[in-house]
Amino acid sequence: MPHLSVNPSSKPNCSTVWLISVLLGLLAVHTNANDVLTVPQQVSLSTNMDSQQLSISWVAGAATTFDLMILRTELNESVFYETVSVMVSQLSGRHEWNWTSVEPLQCTSLSIKVRSREGQSTSEWSNTEILQGSDLPSEEEWQMFPLDRVVPVGANTTFCCIVKEGEQFGTINYGNTVMNTTRLSRRSYATTVVNQGLSRTSGTNVICYNSFKELKIGAVLFVGYPPLLSDFVCETHDLTSAVCLWNERNTNLNTKTRGTRHMLNNRTFTLSWSRNPKKECRVDHWEGNWTLVAVNPLGQYSLTDSAELSHRVTPVAPENLTSVAHAMNATVLWQWKYDGYSSLALVCQVELTSQGYKTNHTFSGVDLRAVVLPDLYPYEDYSVQVRCGAQQNFWKWGSWSETMSFKSSSIVPEAPDMWVWMNKDYTGQVFWKPLTRRQSRGLMTGYEVTLWSPGESLQHTDILPPDTFAVPVNLTLMATASSDNMVMATVTAKNTEGVSLPASVLIHLRLTDTDPRAVSQAVYTDSGFSLFWQSDVNTTCAYVVEWHNASCKWNCPVDWIKVAPGNTNVSIESANFQPGVRYNFSLYSSSSEAPELLQRWQGYMQELVPSSPVLSLLTTQEDSDILLTWGHIPLVNRRGFLLGYNIYISSGSQLTLLANLSDPGSRSYTVKGLSEGSYKFTVKAYTSAGEDTGATASIMLEPFTDWLILEILASLGVTALFLVIVTFLCYKKRKWVKKAFYPDIPEPKLPGDWSRSQAPLDVKPPHHSLVHMVERPEWDSSKEALVVIPEEDEDEDGQGIGDELVDTDEPTSLRYYNQVVDERPIRPRYPDSSDSSASSLDSARTDVTYTGIHTSGSSFVFQLDPQGSSEGHQPQADPSFCAGGGGGYRPQMQSRVPSDDTGSASPNPFPEPQAASGYKPQSSWQMDSPVDDGEGRSRASSLGSPTSIASTLFLLPDGEDHTEEKRQPSSSSAATWLTNLLSSTKP
Amino acid sequence: MAARRTRGMTGPDVSRSTVARAASIAEQLRYECSILLELFREKESFTADVLVDGRLVSVTPPSSQLDTRDKLWRLHSALMQCRSLLERAIAREEEELGGGKKGDYETQRKMVKDRLSYLLICTGELLKTAGGAALLTPSLEGLELDGPTALFELKLWVYRIFKEVDYWTKTAITTLDALPSVIAKERVRTSRVRTTRSTRR
Repeated sequence: MPHLSVNPSSKPNCSTVWLISVLLGLLAVHTNANDVLTVPQQVSLSTNMDSQQLSISWVAGAATTFDLMILRTELNESVFYETVSVMVSQLSGRHEWNWTSVEPLQCTSLSIKVRSREGQSTSEWSNTEILQGSDLPSEEEWQMFPLDRVVPVGANTTFCCIVKEGEQFGTINYGNTVMNTTRLSRRSYATTVVNQGLSRTSGTNVICYNSFKELKIGAVLFVGYPPLLSDFVCETHDLTSAVCLWNERNTNLNTKTRGTRHMLNNRTFTLSWSRNPKKECRVDHWEGNWTLVAVNPLGQYSLTDSAELSHRVTPVAPENLTSVAHAMNATVLWQWKYDGYSSLALVCQVELTSQGYKTNHTFSGVDLRAVVLPDLYPYEDYSVQVRCGAQQNFWKWGSWSETMSFKSSSIVPEAPDMWVWMNKDYTGQVFWKPLTRRQSRGLMTGYEVTLWSPGESLQHTDILPPDTFAVPVNLTLMATASSDNMVMATVTAKNTEGVSLPASVLIHLRLTDTDPRAVSQAVYTDSGFSLFWQSDVNTTCAYVVEWHNASCKWNCPVDWIKVAPGNTNVSIESANFQPGVRYNFSLYSSSSEAPELLQRWQGYMQELVPSSPVLSLLTTQEDSDILLTWGHIPLVNRRGFLLGYNIYISSGSQLTLLANLSDPGSRSYTVKGLSEGSYKFTVKAYTSAGEDTGATASIMLEPFTDWLILEILASLGVTALFLVIVTFLCYKKRKWVKKAFYPDIPEPKLPGDWSRSQAPLDVKPPHHSLVHMVERPEWDSSKEALVVIPEEDEDEDGQGIGDELVDTDEPTSLRYYNQVVDERPIRPRYPDSSDSSASSLDSARTDVTYTGIHTSGSSFVFQLDPQGSSEGHQPQADPSFCAGGGGGYRPQMQSRVPSDDTGSASPNPFPEPQAASGYKPQSSWQMDSPVDDGEGRSRASSLGSPTSIASTLFLLPDGEDHTEEKRQPSSSSAATWLTNLLSSTKP
Repeated sequence: MAARRTRGMTGPDVSRSTVARAASIAEQLRYECSILLELFREKESFTADVLVDGRLVSVTPPSSQLDTRDKLWRLHSALMQCRSLLERAIAREEEELGGGKKGDYETQRKMVKDRLSYLLICTGELLKTAGGAALLTPSLEGLELDGPTALFELKLWVYRIFKEVDYWTKTAITTLDALPSVIAKERVRTSRVRTTRSTRR
């Protein structure tokens, strides 16, 4: 409107008038509507306190929609405010509406008012009607609502406690539980128990306490179930009255006032309380149709049944049972409680119990009062009970009678089951199985065993007490006296009634050591050892399977079983079977003749690992191999069929499998390819259950000396062959060798008189000169030398010669050729040194071709590595060095004796190379050397120098050029070595 | 009259053994009553301090002027009212709150009722010895035997009756204890014997 009033562009007068007209119209319509809606009048209230239902009625004309408001009067709290549609009751002409309160209506006063509604239009509220609560000031005392309520399991219940005027509210307890409460008014407090469970028998208390925790008021709540019935049926026992039966669940409401009330065909009856859900009710007369109704505060349940009497006969239990017992049958008699049964056709069941086993016999007939029980065992305790049903229109079995016991009479026992075990001689045992109580057929008094020879009239009888089941026999006498080699063993049992039929076995006295039959393996299954054999169509005899512990050989406790003719298999089960024990099974034919062994088996109930390892495990070295041998495992210790052996080698605590021998008969194994050392071997036998603990043996593997010897011999052979080949080649090429290394030496042309006869110079060292080897660590190898120690009392003149040339303490012949030796005594170039060492101390007598030695010494000294010489060349050196001369005998080396040792006797020591040159008796020849060109002098001079006849070596290399020669060690040394070799090989 | 009755009681007329037996039964009843109260409280989730006001049994008020015979009479009358109330309580309880399996509480309740009857026989004998048969049947007129209708009130009423039995049992012990010394000495000896037996158990 303000908007319109300020719009300058509009036509204010026309629009305003139009809008005002519309608004006035609407207002008029609204005013008319209010006038139409009737204010509810004559509001009245009625209550049902138990159901907490409030019924509100009012008069409001034709209106159908109303707003209802319910308030708690004191606190003016809204409890209910909704629009409801309520039609006019044709009967009363009033509008009626019911409301159920959560709280008991007594808890507090409620204010109720109603107004009519039509769309958005409502009438004025009606006058407020107040439902007075019990919390009015006029009711001063403590109160609680609801009282003594019965509700179903799972329901919710609200309780309120009204406090006494002047006191203070405390708590509300439900059983032992303190509940949460809501204040409804000044004195009223409420609590709600939700999803209630079963209450106690006497109900659950809801107690209100004041602020001092004093009990002030309370109520009792019962929580249970409505009745529920099933399996309702009526029957008759006496053919007149009816007994109705049904099942009923426990409602938990068992008090007289709240418990379930029953009615059968509208007649109330009382049931005594019982935990058993099976209920029954007796009716004096058969009505044919029945209706059962069960009612309690929470509800009711009804079932019906209808039947003819003859279809619902359930006989009562027979009474006064008696018996007349015989050995094989007995008559059982009884009586009936009702005379009406005399005309009733009955079927009766007799339950016979003996030794815990029950058998049922069924009999039928009119007026059935006695039955005969057949097939009884003699001397047996029986108990019997009887029940019956209607033979026609059988409904159900009646109750069992009380149990009656009787004992059947005794007769002579059955023949015992006997067998014979014979040893390898004429001794043995006769066995028989103890008779069971049923087989005894009476009180046993003993057994009688008779041995008799059918052909002769020999007989021997033993009478034995009833607890004897075996007797040893010795048939030696009978065997010697009997012509047919047969002895019959017979066993009879005796009880108080007499002697049984005899059981007998014919014993063949021909003894054989051989076991004619092969042995098969028997397999143990859940049903025992399963044995199978071929059926002989020509024989119809029975069989006997005998078994015993395989490790038993003498007087074995055997067991046996008899198999009917025609059978070809049997399962042997025995409580005596033990795991790990081998059993022998033997199948015999059982006939009038002596039993004949047909087949044999061996088996284990359960195979175990061997209880002991192999015996006598031995290890033996064979060449470079190791042979393991062992013995068998005793049968009793095998505990299973041996499948083989596992061979282990142990390294530390770990066993490594070397081999698996799958042949259980193996007794040896060879371990190959082992190097020297200590070894430990373990042999484990195994069965299907696994390995035994193993036997262990150790061995120290020694080196195989034969091979070493063979290797040495082979080396020597190869060396010898090499030498032979070299020698052969040298021999074949001797011309070339000679030309290459030993060309002909021209005749020397001497200026002087050289007419002296050419004879070898024999130098014989003194007999007693000693050659001492002195090892002087501070020397290098080049300082090692032989020193000839002259003996004092030897020839003084020859001392120098001896010192120079002799290295042994034995007389040694040193031979020089006179054409190269001066007549002058050979004088050493430097004085003696008694301290000098000499090698070859061991040589007692040595022939030295001095020229060779000389040349050798001059050449080899320089080709050797000095350091190597000092380290490796010992005076008594390795034989390999004998031909080389590096560390060998070197008399010329004396020149290298240190100057310290020579002392003042050597005022002008030679330099090292010169010292090595040694003895040079041919110095004069040097002067005449045809070639003296300085630079090539060494080789040229050598070629032209005098040579030993024996060795053809150049005796006088140029001392001055020795240094130069030293520079060429390889070629010259090789040539020298070959020369030496050839010279040494010459005769 | 009172003096005459008293003189009569001081003689050997009063059976000492009857007094002793009555005292013994009263002791036993007090013990059994305490158990019954405990079982009831446990059954109904009551605490021990639940207060129940007022007496259900109405007898002449205690007075030092009463002679022994009157005391016995008063005691006997109260116990008879107790038994009547107890029987009624049991009946109401069975009717309104019972049913189902019987447990320890029901067994103990019957035991108290039977023991109370036995005590009544003893006190009756004592009263008979003291005063004659004409006075042996106290009137139960005016005794409120119906009890409340509301179940919780009924439970409180039953509890009050049990408490009443307990109270009058203790009173019986006191009264029997207060009988003439000659009888009391006899009772003491009996008590000793009983105590010895109890110890042996």
